[in-house]
Amino acid sequence: MPRPPAHVPPPPKSGPSPALIGAVVAVVVAIIAVVVYLAVRPDPVDTGDAGSPTVGAGASSPSALPNAGGIRVGDAGEDVPDVHVFVDFQCPWCGLLEQVSGPAITEAALDGDIQLTYTLMSFLDGNLGNDSSLRAANAAMCADDQGAFVDYHAAVFAGQPAEEGTGWTDEQLIGFAEASGVEDIESFTGCLQDGTHNDYVKDMQTRSNQEGVSGSPRVFINGDELGNDEMNTLMNDPNSFPAILEAATQG
Amino acid sequence: MTTTRVADLIGLVCRLALGGVLLAAGLLKVGDPVGSIQSVVAYRLFDYRIAEMIGLMLPVVEIAVGLLLVLGLFTRWTALIGAVLMLAFIAGIASAWARGLAIDCGCFGTGGPVDPSETAYLSEILRDAGLFAAGAWLVVRPRSLVALDTLVFRRPAADPAAATSPHTPTTASKGAP
Repeated sequence: MPRPPAHVPPPPKSGPSPALIGAVVAVVVAIIAVVVYLAVRPDPVDTGDAGSPTVGAGASSPSALPNAGGIRVGDAGEDVPDVHVFVDFQCPWCGLLEQVSGPAITEAALDGDIQLTYTLMSFLDGNLGNDSSLRAANAAMCADDQGAFVDYHAAVFAGQPAEEGTGWTDEQLIGFAEASGVEDIESFTGCLQDGTHNDYVKDMQTRSNQEGVSGSPRVFINGDELGNDEMNTLMNDPNSFPAILEAATQG
Repeated sequence: MTTTRVADLIGLVCRLALGGVLLAAGLLKVGDPVGSIQSVVAYRLFDYRIAEMIGLMLPVVEIAVGLLLVLGLFTRWTALIGAVLMLAFIAGIASAWARGLAIDCGCFGTGGPVDPSETAYLSEILRDAGLFAAGAWLVVRPRSLVALDTLVFRRPAADPAAATSPHTPTTASKGAP
C-alpha cells in the first residue's frame, strides 16, 4: 500500500545543481584572468649584464644601453660613482628634482665625475589617462639621435604643464626640440610621430619594475637608493648634490 | 519589520558594500595594467613575476566577485573569497606599514610610493577590516534582500514548509543548523 504523499521528498529539480553552476562560473572567471594575464603581460626584459646582446629592445638611440638599461649621459667609465636616475616626464616631483638639482647632476656627468644613466619611466600614462610620458620619452630619444638628449630632457621638465595630466601636444614636443639644439627638425618630427623608440621606452618601464623600482623620482648611487631626506635635500638645494654624492660613496 | 527582515536588509548592505568596493577597485585597475603591476611591486613582497601575475589577474577576480556579490549570486562563496581577499590586503598593508615603506595601498589603482606624511595605513586597514566583517556576516548568513540567489536557487516546497511548520519535513532538516 502506498504511503501518503506528504512524506515523500519533493522530486529533484530539473537542470544543473547550484554547485555545478558555481563551479562553471569559477572556471570561467579563472580562464578570463589567465587570458588577460597572457594578453596584457609586458614582454619581459633581459636584465642580464650590460654586455649581453640586446634582446627585443627595439630601435634605440645612440646613448641607450642594451636591454632597456637606460640612457647614458657622458661617458665617464667605470672608475667613478655610478648614478642612476629614474624619472617619468609627467611627474611633478621629478620636475622639481630636475629643476633644482638636474644641472648639478648633468654637469658632474659631463665633467666625468660620475657615470650617469637616466631611465625614463612611463607608468603615469595609465594613471593620468594619456600617453604623454611615452611620447615625451620617445621624443627625448629622438633628440638623442641628434646628440641633444641632455638639453631636451631638461627642456621637457622645464615645460611641464601647470597641472599634472595635461601632457604635451606634438607641437610642444617639437618646440622643445627647437629650443634644445636639435638641428634636423624634420627627421625629429618623423621619429616623434612614428614612435621610433616606443618599444625601448616601454621596456624601460618594465625593467624598472623588474628591478623593484615602483615610482619616481628615484636616485641610486652605486646601486643604493637615496632615502627620503636625501631626495628632499636634492629637491630643495641646487648645491647639495656633491655632498650627497660624497656621503653616498663613502664606506 | 521582523528580525529576519532586518537581518536580510543587513545582508543586502553587506553585499553592496563589499561587492561595490571590489567592483570599483577592479574596474579602476583593469584599464591600467602597468600601474597595477607597479602597485604590487611597491609592496616589495613578491618576486617580479609573481607581482606581475597578481597585478594583472587580481582586478579580474575583483570585478567578478564584486559583480556576483552586487547581484547576490553564490553569495556565501563570493563573500568568502571577498573576506579572504580583505584579510590578504590587511596583511599586505600592515606589513608595508611595519617595514616603514611609504606607499599608497594601490587598492584603487593609484598605488606606489607617496610622501611619508601622506600614508594612510590605519584608515586603509580599518576600511578593509570593515569590509572583512561584511564578508564574514554573509558567509555565516548569506540570505539577503533582492538577491538573485533566492530567485535562481529557491528550493521548491522547502520555503513555505519551513515558514509554516515548526516540525519541518525531512527535506528541510538538511539546511537546519
